[in-house]
Amino acid sequence: MSLFVDPKLGLIDGPVQPRLEAQSRAKSWYDWAGYAAPAVLDTVEFEYFALRNQASLFDVSPMHKYRIRGPQAQAMLNRMMTRDITKIGTNRVGYTLWCDEEGMVIDDGTLFRFADDDWRLCCQEQMLTWLLDAAWGFDVEITDESKEVAGFALQGPSTFAVLESAGWDVSALRPFDMAEVAPGILISRTGFTGDLGYEIWMPWDDALAVWDKIWAAGDLWGLRAIGYEAVDYARLEAGFLTAGVDFQPARGTERLHRGLTPYELGFGRLVHLDKGHFNGRRALLKAKDAPRSVVMKVDVEGFKPAKGALIYHRKKREVGHITSGLWSPTAKRNIALAHVQMPWAGKRPSDLWAEIYTLEEGKWDTRMARLTPIQGAFFAPPRARATPPARI
Amino acid sequence: MSFDAVIIGGGINGLVAASVLARGGKKVCLLEQSGHLGGLAAPGPDGGARMAHLLYNLSPLVRREIGMDAHKWPFKLTPVSTVALNPDGPHVVIRGQKAQLADGSAHPEAEAYRQLNGQLIRYADILRGLAEGGPLGIEGRLSSISGLKELWRLGRIGRKLKRIDKSEMRRFLQMLLSNAYDLILDDLKDGPLAGMMAADAVRGGFAGPRSPGTVFSLIYRMGHGGEVTWPEGGMGAVVTAFEGAAQKAGVDIRLNAGVARILLAGDRVRAVETTGGDVIETKTVLSSTGALRTAHMAGVDAFDIEAARRLRNIRVKGTVAKINLTLTKPVSVAGLTDDMCPARLVLAPTAEYVERAFNPAKYRQMSEAPVIEALRIDAQTFSLMVQYAPVDLDGGWTDAAKDKLRAVTLSALAPYLPGLEDAVAQAEVITPDQIEAETGAPGGHWHHAEMALDQLLTLRPANGMGRYAMGPEGLYLCGAGAHPGGDLMGLAGRNAARAALEVGK
Repeated sequence: MSLFVDPKLGLIDGPVQPRLEAQSRAKSWYDWAGYAAPAVLDTVEFEYFALRNQASLFDVSPMHKYRIRGPQAQAMLNRMMTRDITKIGTNRVGYTLWCDEEGMVIDDGTLFRFADDDWRLCCQEQMLTWLLDAAWGFDVEITDESKEVAGFALQGPSTFAVLESAGWDVSALRPFDMAEVAPGILISRTGFTGDLGYEIWMPWDDALAVWDKIWAAGDLWGLRAIGYEAVDYARLEAGFLTAGVDFQPARGTERLHRGLTPYELGFGRLVHLDKGHFNGRRALLKAKDAPRSVVMKVDVEGFKPAKGALIYHRKKREVGHITSGLWSPTAKRNIALAHVQMPWAGKRPSDLWAEIYTLEEGKWDTRMARLTPIQGAFFAPPRARATPPARI
Repeated sequence: MSFDAVIIGGGINGLVAASVLARGGKKVCLLEQSGHLGGLAAPGPDGGARMAHLLYNLSPLVRREIGMDAHKWPFKLTPVSTVALNPDGPHVVIRGQKAQLADGSAHPEAEAYRQLNGQLIRYADILRGLAEGGPLGIEGRLSSISGLKELWRLGRIGRKLKRIDKSEMRRFLQMLLSNAYDLILDDLKDGPLAGMMAADAVRGGFAGPRSPGTVFSLIYRMGHGGEVTWPEGGMGAVVTAFEGAAQKAGVDIRLNAGVARILLAGDRVRAVETTGGDVIETKTVLSSTGALRTAHMAGVDAFDIEAARRLRNIRVKGTVAKINLTLTKPVSVAGLTDDMCPARLVLAPTAEYVERAFNPAKYRQMSEAPVIEALRIDAQTFSLMVQYAPVDLDGGWTDAAKDKLRAVTLSALAPYLPGLEDAVAQAEVITPDQIEAETGAPGGHWHHAEMALDQLLTLRPANGMGRYAMGPEGLYLCGAGAHPGGDLMGLAGRNAARAALEVGK
């Protein structure tokens, strides 16, 4: 589901556009929910290595943010989400996804629990109409905070030290904890990179001041402002899926059967069939043991990124495709996310091959690259979970 | 207290559902919120007609399956003649398919009317195959018993359709989705006869004769031959007969027992809780009230978000008010030599009059020149269906609004029933909001959901709930909001009960 942007209107400035503009040597902007967002500010290599080795700052303000308040907020969200959200503690953040009535994933996101009757949902897709639909019959109030709350992703091994230098003590925060470190400034130990990192949330109009504060604090810790391309590298190394790339949000598809169930996306652990009714549960009961395809993390032979490649079983039968692929600088592997049809995903996966197109000095060619399934993330450093975190 | 099945609501559909389940070997309890059975068919204190007042769609199939006589109803049905009132000339009297003028002379359009009517009855016969039984379609595997049965039924309806010759088929498909106004005026001049048909096409609905799909609702009324009948002993006799069938089948009937909640365990029905606080354990609940109200009883969170959205968007606006007149002295119909009783007087001088009567309803106003179906039960008792009296009347149905409706109605009838206004001893006005409060019919709508093409068959009451089961396991809709709709037919109740029995097997 892409937001329609009026071509006459053009892209809108985000809350820290003056700072990004000043840093942008690449002048590479893309449309993120109508905002001009940096794909790259300098070069993707510099930015990626800052993220993995030092600290990186990425403006995530274009994410959609919704506040759900009211006595029945928990019940309403539990009916909408596939996981049992009552298990998310106060001042905790939960990764969650939600489905349509056919059990197809609509989107995923992070759910912040401020209190039993006060939650925030942060997600990639516009979700206001869906939330209003989901809220009907419940005593809750939904507010679209997308333009009121700004957010930065501060990610990388030295980010704890950056925040400490800024005067914010987050040493007690475990992964998925959150705390208000100053009036109006919320820090959650969350992120989309699989590394040590935090997300900082603040009123839209305070964003520039907060950016400057973090920027000053990060000076000694190698802090760099980055664009989406570096984040995309990191998220793939962490094995995270991107909506619209690795799965099609069900409500944004026009063709039949383009949606996928959480089981097919490898999120079975986030579906709690025993928690009572939730949206799509009846369909998911049937779909649970009959996935049509599965998402596999694979190591692709060679070094050519396999994005967009078709997958063949025994080099003959077409059984799937690759949605994201990358030569991982940190894992030192050619990694990819592969959608493979059943039953081929289940049987002898060593016989799966990606047909990769190569272009060498004007000459196109194809070659078959063997896929080796991998369990778990491609890169999962222990520093991401250490509490208190190391300074570097 | 524990039952195999609990039925919510003791209208005709509720009683039929209860009887079918009980005859299928289930221990059944029926809960009715009011102090009497019958729902919209429930009689007034005199046993006459409080709300519904005529029968034309009672299903013989239902009669057989609830254990009444295989060949006839246990009450006597008297065919009712229709009088299409004419402000500028002789009224038109319709007996069966024969239309003649009130003075006994031949109606110039008698033959055209007979042909048109006959055609509609033929089409209705085809469509009845769709009404009897659940909506068509095979959901399970073809090799299953129910799949084969469904295939057999499809085949039978297909054969029936195939027997129609090509030009007739073309006409059938042409007119099925069209509007009654065009269809009627293709064959008849606009006058009382055309007006009467137009009024019949829209009665009970939020539609005018020019609204699409009104040919379908006209055909729907003719599903069982189109004959309008009045039961001897009034509606009381009908309700007593259905109640008797339920009693005989062993149904435990409880009055003054409204249902507050349907209780669930996980994703299945566990019990119902009455407004009195009693908990009755059961694994199966069939509700004959509105679909949305039923969903509220079980809790909105027991339904998918899309299902809840569809339920709250069901189009259901009642437009008919009921006025029951008791007179101090006999009043006869001007210009009618034969003092017919019972007689159905239709005030709809032209099809255009009916369309214009509908216009105010779009703006939440009552018709100043209403369409009236007046059943003359005897010379001193009239039962009136007054249309359009929209449920969502601007300003609400206050006493003043009711007085206005009464006055508008009486003055509309005055030219045809001289002396009526002075002879009124009692005029009880029952508006759609009252019908909803008393019977649980959403919007005070007879069919619990507008009988429109987007709300029929598997789309009734809403997509995904077309096979009576809705939401949690064990919950069924058995009222007029389910396929094939209302009209004191009993088929929705019968089909829902059969669906529930099928699951229990």
